[in-house]
Amino acid sequence: MNNLPFGKKRPWDYQDSLFCKPLRIMKISTFLMFAFVTGVQAEGIAQKVNLKLKNVKVEDALSAIGKQTKHRFLYSDDVTKGAKRISLNLKDASLEDALEEVLSDNNYTYKVIANTITVNNIEKSSDKTSVVVLQNSVSGTVKDKEGRPLTGASITVKGTSVSTQTDNSGNFKINAPSNGILTIRYIGFKSSEISIGGKSNITITLESTDNQLEVVDVVATGYQNIARKFFTGSATRVDAKDAERAGVPDISRMLEGQVAGVSLQNVSGTFGAAPKIRVRGATSLSGDNKPLWVIDGIILEDVVNISNEALSSGDMNTLLGSSVAGINPDDIESFNILKDAAATAMYGARAMNGVIVVTTKKGRQTEGKPHVSYTGNFTSYIKPTYNNFDVMTSYDQMAVMIELKNKGYYQIPSASRGANGGVFYKMYNKLYEYDETTKTYGLKNDAPSQVDFLTRYANANTDWFDLLFKNSFVQEHSVSVSSGTEKSQHYSSVSYLKDPGMTIGNDVERFTGNFRSNYKFGEKLKAELLGNGSVRQQTAPGTVNQKSDPVYGSYYRGYDINPYNYALGTSRLITPYDENGNLEYFTRGYAPFNILDEVNNNYMELGMIDFKVQAALNYKIIPDLTYSITGAYRFSKSENQTFLKENSNYIQSFRAMQDATIVGSNDKLYSDPDFPNDLPISVLPEGGFYNVNLDNMKYYYLRQDLEYNKEFNGGHNINIFANMEMITTDRQAEFFDGVGYSYENGGLAVPFPKYFKKAREEGNPYYGMGYKFTRFNGYSMRAAYAYKQKYSLNGTVRYDGSNKMGKSRTARWLPTWNVSGKWNVDEEAFWIKNSILSNLSIRATYGMVANMGNATNSAAVFYNQTARRREIVDQETLTYISNIANKELTWEKMKEFNLGFDIGMFDSKVGLTIDLYDRRSFDLLGSIQTSGIDGEYTKIANYANMSAKGIEFAITGTPVKSGDFRWKTNFNFAFNKNEITRLDINPNIWRAVSNTGGAVNGYSQRSLFSIQFDGLDPQFGYPTFIGTDGIKTTNVSLQSQVLDYLKYEGPVEPTFTGGFFNTFSYKNFSISGLFTFSAGNKLRLKPSIAWAYDDMSVMTKDMLNRWIMPGDEKSTTIPALLDPLSATNIVSSSGTQVSAVYPYNAYNYSTERVVDGDYIKLKNISLGYALPKDLISRFKMSNASINVVANNIWTIMADKRLNGQDPEFFATGGVALPVPKQITVSLKVGF
Amino acid sequence: MKNIYIISLSIIGTLILFSSCNKYLDKEPDNRTEINTIDKVAQLVGTAYPTADYLSFAESASDNAVDKGPGVGNSVDTRDRPYAWEDIFGAGTNTPSNYWNGCYEAIAAANQALESINTYKLGVKSDPYKGEALVARAYAHHMLAIFFATTYKIGGANDAPGIPYVTKPGEKVLQQYDRGTVKSTYESIVKDLEEGLSLLTETAYKIPKYHFTPAAAHAFASRLYLFLGEWQKAVDHATLAAPSGDFLNNLRPINTTMLNQSSGEFRDGFTRSDVKSTLLLANCYSTWTYNESARYGYGPSLTPMFNDPNVTGGTLANKVLSYSAANYTTYKWLYYFFYTGPGIGFPYIMQPLFTVDEALLNRAEAYAELGNYQASLDDINTFYSTKIRNYVPSSHQVTLAKIMSYFSISDPKEGLIKTILVAKKAEFLQEGLRWIDIARRDLTVVHNVIDAKGIETSIELKPGDPRRIFQLPEEVKVAGLELNPR
Repeated sequence: MNNLPFGKKRPWDYQDSLFCKPLRIMKISTFLMFAFVTGVQAEGIAQKVNLKLKNVKVEDALSAIGKQTKHRFLYSDDVTKGAKRISLNLKDASLEDALEEVLSDNNYTYKVIANTITVNNIEKSSDKTSVVVLQNSVSGTVKDKEGRPLTGASITVKGTSVSTQTDNSGNFKINAPSNGILTIRYIGFKSSEISIGGKSNITITLESTDNQLEVVDVVATGYQNIARKFFTGSATRVDAKDAERAGVPDISRMLEGQVAGVSLQNVSGTFGAAPKIRVRGATSLSGDNKPLWVIDGIILEDVVNISNEALSSGDMNTLLGSSVAGINPDDIESFNILKDAAATAMYGARAMNGVIVVTTKKGRQTEGKPHVSYTGNFTSYIKPTYNNFDVMTSYDQMAVMIELKNKGYYQIPSASRGANGGVFYKMYNKLYEYDETTKTYGLKNDAPSQVDFLTRYANANTDWFDLLFKNSFVQEHSVSVSSGTEKSQHYSSVSYLKDPGMTIGNDVERFTGNFRSNYKFGEKLKAELLGNGSVRQQTAPGTVNQKSDPVYGSYYRGYDINPYNYALGTSRLITPYDENGNLEYFTRGYAPFNILDEVNNNYMELGMIDFKVQAALNYKIIPDLTYSITGAYRFSKSENQTFLKENSNYIQSFRAMQDATIVGSNDKLYSDPDFPNDLPISVLPEGGFYNVNLDNMKYYYLRQDLEYNKEFNGGHNINIFANMEMITTDRQAEFFDGVGYSYENGGLAVPFPKYFKKAREEGNPYYGMGYKFTRFNGYSMRAAYAYKQKYSLNGTVRYDGSNKMGKSRTARWLPTWNVSGKWNVDEEAFWIKNSILSNLSIRATYGMVANMGNATNSAAVFYNQTARRREIVDQETLTYISNIANKELTWEKMKEFNLGFDIGMFDSKVGLTIDLYDRRSFDLLGSIQTSGIDGEYTKIANYANMSAKGIEFAITGTPVKSGDFRWKTNFNFAFNKNEITRLDINPNIWRAVSNTGGAVNGYSQRSLFSIQFDGLDPQFGYPTFIGTDGIKTTNVSLQSQVLDYLKYEGPVEPTFTGGFFNTFSYKNFSISGLFTFSAGNKLRLKPSIAWAYDDMSVMTKDMLNRWIMPGDEKSTTIPALLDPLSATNIVSSSGTQVSAVYPYNAYNYSTERVVDGDYIKLKNISLGYALPKDLISRFKMSNASINVVANNIWTIMADKRLNGQDPEFFATGGVALPVPKQITVSLKVGF
Repeated sequence: MKNIYIISLSIIGTLILFSSCNKYLDKEPDNRTEINTIDKVAQLVGTAYPTADYLSFAESASDNAVDKGPGVGNSVDTRDRPYAWEDIFGAGTNTPSNYWNGCYEAIAAANQALESINTYKLGVKSDPYKGEALVARAYAHHMLAIFFATTYKIGGANDAPGIPYVTKPGEKVLQQYDRGTVKSTYESIVKDLEEGLSLLTETAYKIPKYHFTPAAAHAFASRLYLFLGEWQKAVDHATLAAPSGDFLNNLRPINTTMLNQSSGEFRDGFTRSDVKSTLLLANCYSTWTYNESARYGYGPSLTPMFNDPNVTGGTLANKVLSYSAANYTTYKWLYYFFYTGPGIGFPYIMQPLFTVDEALLNRAEAYAELGNYQASLDDINTFYSTKIRNYVPSSHQVTLAKIMSYFSISDPKEGLIKTILVAKKAEFLQEGLRWIDIARRDLTVVHNVIDAKGIETSIELKPGDPRRIFQLPEEVKVAGLELNPR
C-alpha cells in the first residue's frame, strides 16, 4: 500500500496526499532516526556548560546540564537502566561536548529539537542500521530561489528509509552512499531529486510550486481529502491567500467573484449580516437555498436560521445571519466549494445547495521553532454623497410642497396635530406658541412671516449623508504562531477587530482565539485537538422587524432609524440643528424626533460568544484499514439588548398626550377596558425599556469513519469509506422586555402595573422562551475504484434521518445516491505529451441529493395558545392546529447530471475548468394556496418541480512568470437558467410583483412580474393599469391569482455571474484587482411614488417631471400629486370609487418601476510592497509587506435609473446598510 | 488481539447507535403538542369556531349599507365590492374567502377532536366535547351554506350544489371534495346538531360564553329550523335558548342599562361575555373595526329606523352615533389587538354569534308561520319592551292592527314576519344577521348609487340573482369543485 489513489486522508494529515508516499516512509523511519542521527541538531547550540561531578547517575548529570543550558531531557527509564555511573569535569564546554561526555560510555544517541533533548539507546536498532552507519556522510543546504534557507525540509535517501530534516539554517547531514540519490521535499515547493555523485556537500535549490496547479489539487470534502486526480466531482479550491480581502472581516466575502457558479450578493454590509450566497443558483422555491458551511470537517449550524430571502430584510436577527462572522480571516487556509452531486454526495440530504468546506491553518513541522506572523488592517470608509442619489434639493421640494399646500394638504389641524410632522407642523404650532413675557406669538400669522419661516428650510439642503455617515478608523489585528515537531504540530492565533462603524450608531468589536494541534502517538494512532472561540460586541440603531401589508401592497416597520434609510428617506428641508446650533426636533409618533439624538437613546447592543472544541482520533487497525472518530461541541450565546431610553422618540411617544387630539389618536396609549369613560393613559409614565433577546445554541457532533484502502497488483485501487454521524442541536430563543427601566435614575426599575394588565390582555407577555431541537443521523458508504491513474469510478449511498417531521416516522428517512467517473486522458499511452495541452481529464456524474425543507407536518402539528379574547377573564388555554397532516410530505430532492473537463495548459501553468450541468429538482416545497376545505388554506407542500441548466467556466493560473515578473489570473463566469416545470398553484399578484418576485410555472425560480401601466388619466393625472380582466382600471387586486395581464420582466436572480481577478507582481511590488459582474436579472425600484407626501419624507427628482396639467400625460409617466377632491374621482373599471392608495401603490409595482440588475464592479484593488530582505533581516523578521487596498470602490456599469443605488442592496431599513466603499492599509510581518 | 477488540467495539457501538436512532429521532423538533387526553381534546374543540367574520361583506351587500356619496367616508375594497355585488379576489381579511377558510379551519379542529376521541378511546367523559365538536361542525357548515350555496327552499328539491361537508381530518395536500347538494348538506347539519346537542352539558366549560352551551346550541337549532321550515322545532329550540324560558330578563337592555351607559361604556360592554343576552361569542380576526366610516355603510338614510316611530308607535332607544357627518356607527364594536410577537399581531373583535334576542325573534317568526299569531305578537312585545325608549306597554303594544296599518299589509302572517324582520334589521345592524334573513326570506336588496356628479340612481338584487350567492375562493377548483355561476 504505497500509492493512495483515493486520497486516504484525515483532516489532521499535515501534508496533502501527493506526499503520502514519502510521508509513509518517513513514519517508518522515524523511530530508526533516533538511532543514527548523531547530534547534528545540537551543532548550532552554543551554550557553555560548566560541570564538576563525581560518580553520579546519568540522569543527574543530564539534569545538571539541562539546568545550565535551559534544555529538557526526554528519555525513558529503560534507556538509563543499568547505565554506568559517570564522573565529569567540564569547563566552558559546548552542549554537544557535554553530551558526548555524558553519553559516550553508555551507547546513547541523542537529538535536540526545540530545547528538548531526546536520549535513546543505540544498541536496539544498531543491527538494522549498521549498513547505513557505515555509509558516507553527506551534508548540504536547502534553499529557495531567493536564497532563503528552508527549515524542516525532509531529505530522504532514495530507496531507503534513511531520512533527515534541515535545521534552522537549512543545513542537513545525512548518511548516504556516494552514488545515491537524495529526495528533498518541502511543503509549497516542488520536490527535487539530486544524485550525490560523490560530493560531500550539496546545495539544493527548491522551486516554489506557486505557479503549479498541482499543489492546490487536493479536494477537501470535509469527510475525506481526495487528490484531484482521483476526485470525480466538480469542486473549486480557493486558497485564502489568493482570495484575501484585507479590511473585510467576514470570510464569506472572500468567495466573491472567485468561483464560477458561486454568486454572492451583498444584501447588507452591516457586520454579522451574511451575503446571499448561491452555489449554482437556487435549487428550491421556498427553502433556504443557502450552501452548507463545513469548518474543519464539522457542519457549521446557523445560530438562527434565516433564509436567503430573509437576509435582506434588515431585521434584528440578520446580525446573526452570518454563521462564519466569528472566524478570523487570517486563520483560513483554504476553501473548497463542492458544487455537483458527486462532490456533495457525502452530505446527502443536506447537500442540495452546495457545500463550502473551510480548512483552517495547521501547525507545521518547524523543528519546534515558533513562526510568528502578524497582520494589521487599518481601514477608513468613504461617505456616500447626494451626487449618487435621486433626491430632490430642499428648494425643489419646497416648491412641490407649496403646490400640495395649495391643493389642500398641510392644513390645520391635520398637519398640526398628526402623528408625524415636518416644517408645516412646526410652523402651525409656532403660531400658537404664546410667550407671556414678550406678549408675542412664536410666529405671526401672516404671509410674510410664514414665507420667512419656510425660506430657512427651503434653503437648508441638509446633507444627511455627511451628518450620518462616518469615515471611521477600523483596526484589525491578528497574531498567529505556528510551530511543530515530527510528533506534534500546533497553530494558534488571536485577533482583534474594532470597527467604529460607517454610520453613527454602529460599532463592532470582535475577538477571536483559535488553536489546532496535531499529535502522532506512534505508527498507528494520531489525534487532533481543535478549539476556537469568538466574542462579538456590536452596537446598532434600534429596530423592530419588518411586516408585509399585502392589501395595500407595502412593507413597513414599526419605526425605523436606520441611518442610510433616513438619509435617503428624509427630506433635505429638515434641519438637524436650529439657527442657534442646538438640536432641532421634528415630530414623529406625536413626540419630538431628531435622528442624531435618537441613535444615542435608542440602540441595540449585541453580545455574542461562540465556542467550539473538537477532537479526533485516527487509528490504523491494519495497514489498509483505518478507523477514526471525531467529536465536536459548540456553544453559542448571543444576547441582543435594546436600550430605549427616556429621551428617545420611541419612549416619548408612549407618553405623548399633550392635548385631547393626541390623547385620542396616539395608539401607544392605553384605554383600560375596565374604565371605559376614562381617557387613555400612558402605561409607561416613567423610565424606558431595557429589552433582551437571547439566542442560544448547543451543538454536539459525533462521527465514526472506517476506511479501507488497498492497491492491488496491476494498478487496481480500491477505497471504501463507511461513515456514521449524529448531530444534536438544541436552540433556545428567549426574550425579556424590561419595562420602566429608568436610565435617568441609575437603573431603577419602575414598571407601571397597568403595563402588565395591558400586556396580558393583548397576549403580549413581557417574556417568552422557546426551543428548537434538531436530531440528525446519517449513514453513508462510498466505494471507489481506480485503475492506474487513468480511470476512476465512484459510487456513494447515504441514508439520512431527521426528527424534523416530529414523531411521525413517515418521511423520516431518505436515501440518496450518486455515481461518477473520471478519465484522465493525459495518462493514456496515446496522449502525446505536449506543453500546450498538458493535462486533460473528463468527469461525469449522475446522482441525487436532497434538502430537508421547512415543512414539518407529516403528522398534524398542534400548538398551544392563549385564546385571543379581549377580557382576561375570557382567556383560556387552547390548542390549535398549526398544520394539518400531509402524509405525502417528503424531502426536497434533486437529480443532477454534470459533465466536467479539467484542462491544464502550458505545462500546467494555466488551468481551465468547464462544467456543464443539468439539474432536475422535484418534490420541492412551497407555500401553496389550496381550497381551504380541509382546514388549511395556505400549505407548505411538495408541489413543484424545477429544472436548471448551467455552464461554468474558469481559467486560473500563472500564465507569465519570467524573472521578477509574475501574472496570476482567475477569470470565471457561470450561466445558470432555471425554470419551474411544475407548480400546482401560482402565487398571487402581490408575490409576483414584489421585489423578491414569485414562483410562477414556466418561469424562473423567482420571476419578477409587473402590473402593466396604461397611461395617466388625462383629467386628473392618476395612473391606470390593465386589470385582471384585461380592462383598463385603477384598482388591480393584488390578491388575485390571475397573472395573465401582468408583464413578465425577468428573473430576480442574475443568470450570469462571474469574476475576474488578476495579480501582477514585479520584484517587491504587486498589484491586484477583482472585478465582479452579474447580469440577466431585473430589479424593482424602491416604492417611492405616492399620491401625496407628508412634510417630512423625501421626494425623488422624478417628481419634477410629474403630471401637472391635462396634456402632460403625453409626455410623462410620473403621476400627479392629487388634491383630496380629485382623489375621489378615481374609479375602477366598473365605476366604483377607488381609494387613491390603490393606483399609486400599483404604480410602484408597475412596468414603470423596473430596472435591469446588470452590473460590473471593481470590487477590490490592492497595491502591495514587500520590504527588501536585507532591511527586514536587521529586525529579525522573515517577511514584511504593506498593502493598500480599496474595496467596493467603483460600480463601473449599472442601470442609470438606479441613480447610484447599489443593485445588490435593497435598502430595507432596520439594521441593513449597504456595503461601504473603503480604503485599507494592510501590514503583514513574519518572524 | 487488540485490533479485534477495537473492531468489535466499534461494530457494537455502531449497532447500538443504529438501533437507538429511531428513538433518538423521536424527539419533537419544537414545543408542539399531541391531542391524546380529554383536556387536550377540550382545548382543541375550543378552536372549532370560525375566527373569521362575515360582517364586512354581509353588511355591505345587504340593505344595511347605503352609498353616502363620493368624498364621504373611505373607499375600502372589502366594502365597495360587496356593495356593488362584485366578487372580491383573494382571501384577505374580511373577504368571503377568508370566512370560508375560517369556517373550514373550525371544522378541521372539530374533526381532529372527534378523531382523537376515537383513537385514544377517551370514553364518556369526553362526551361534552364530542357534542361541542359536532355542534360546532354543524354551525360552521351551516354558515357556509348560507353564504356560499343556494338557500334551502322549503319543500323544494334542493338539488343545487351545497358545500363540501367534511367529517374527517385531511391527510393530503390537495384532497378532492364534493359539494353534494343543498339537501344533503342540510341533512348532515341536522344530523350533527341533533347528535351533538344530546351530548352537551352546561358545566363542561371554563369560559362557557365562548363554547356551545346547550342554550347556545338551541339558539342555533332555532335558526337552522327556520331555514328548513320545521316551525315547531324552531319554537321548541328557541324556548330552550333562554335560561328557564325567561326571555324578558335576558334580552339586551337597550332601553334601560344600555341607554344609560355612556357611549364608551356601551362599546366596551356590548361584546363582553357578561351581557346576558349573548349566548355564544367568537373571537374573530377582523379589521371590520378599522374602517367604521366606509363610503358604503351605515349612512343617514338608515337612521330613520331609530329616530322615527316604528310599528310600536315609539322609537328605539339605540344609540345613533356618528364619527362625522354621514358616517354613522352603532358603536357596538371594540377593536382589540392581540400580539403574537413584539410589534406583530392580529386585530380581533368579539363577535356575538347567538343571542337570546335572536332566539326570541326566531320563535316569534316560527309562531307566525304556525298560525299562532298571539304567541308571535307576545314575543314581539317582549322584545320591544326592552328596546323602545320610555316603553309604556299600553301605548307601545304591537297588535295585528298596528302592523297592518304601519306596513300596509293585510295578511297577518306576512305582517308579523315583516315586523319581525324589521325589528331584527334594526337590532342587529352592523352585526351581519341581516344577510341571513335576506337569504332565507329571498328579500330584494336595493342599493342607491351616487356618481361623481352627485346623481343618484339605484341598483337591485332580486331573488334568483346568482350574485346573491357569494363566490367560492378561486382555489376550490383544485379540490374538484365548481365555482358558483355568475
